[in-house]
Amino acid sequence: MVLAGILSKETAVIAVPIVTLILGVIIGWLGQRSGFCSIGGFRDFFMWKHTRLLYGYLALIAGAFIGYLAFKFIFPSAFEGFFWALNKGLMPVPGAPANLTVVAYIVLAIIGGIAVGLMGVIIGGCPLRQLVMTAEGNLKSLFFVIGMCVGAVVYTMFVSGWGVALLKAAGLA
Amino acid sequence: MAETKPKTNENYDGIDAIARNPLYVGLAIGILAAIVQLLLISAGGPEAYGFCVACHTRDVVNVAVNDIFGTKLAVAAISQNAILPVMTVVGVLIGAFISARGYEEFRTKTGSAASYTGHLLGGIFFMIFALFMGGCPYRLALRIGYGDVVAFIGVIAIVIGVLIGIKIATNLAERED
Repeated sequence: MVLAGILSKETAVIAVPIVTLILGVIIGWLGQRSGFCSIGGFRDFFMWKHTRLLYGYLALIAGAFIGYLAFKFIFPSAFEGFFWALNKGLMPVPGAPANLTVVAYIVLAIIGGIAVGLMGVIIGGCPLRQLVMTAEGNLKSLFFVIGMCVGAVVYTMFVSGWGVALLKAAGLA
Repeated sequence: MAETKPKTNENYDGIDAIARNPLYVGLAIGILAAIVQLLLISAGGPEAYGFCVACHTRDVVNVAVNDIFGTKLAVAAISQNAILPVMTVVGVLIGAFISARGYEEFRTKTGSAASYTGHLLGGIFFMIFALFMGGCPYRLALRIGYGDVVAFIGVIAIVIGVLIGIKIATNLAERED
């Protein structure tokens, strides 16, 4: 399966930083105006029955589905994996540690999800909200973002290897 | 720089009214992420990678560390192949800063040393578990839209985590009363 977008490979490798930077500026502006927050949506709903942010997150899922579906019709070669579960069953889209079993991915999703949700409530916002608050001048959020940068290196250098080894020892991978 | 608007709670006109509604913002982010895949997927996978705070931060930081220290930390194929990694996170900071300045909502907020340490450790902890899951809540949403069942399980787990977090927070609040 070779995925091909509108831009050729030679153009795309140059366009990646430019297009993603523009995307980021738009999302940053929208996020600052709306206070968009994924974990905040669930928190507000369960604590106060506020649905404003929760609808935002559900709209994100819907928007992604509509976008992928519409562009799949217009330009199929860029979206060959869509609709993923019909082609690949339970295997997730790549991104988590590679070459594990379905059970291991589900275990990682459950452990990771609980930890992420818990941390989001305790810190008071999902990572996008933290980035936006950093840009609004919140120094606590700046330390969260620095922590994310440190965490990325720590994860790649040590923790991902340990995690996979642990899963293998438990007979899941 | 955007023009400044009077600070009232009602008078939002045109595009600002749309930008203030998370419903439209969510739809816009989802469709924009699909457009990014439409444009850039030739540069390399993974799919449903249009927007992710955790993964894109990982890519920027790891590419920078690789360039500076000559290490070989893993990044996504798209960031490996491109001349520069995905810059979404940098863009978010720029866009939110311009917006906060333009609408006069920029306020420097400080905290205690303990809160800084807590947020720093929280960031490390958050990042590690988000990367194990294969993305932050935003990429999970994109993956659900792309048809990924495991991402749906991840979001259910996030809801459980949020409920545990609320329980802990309310228990702590009751103890202080």
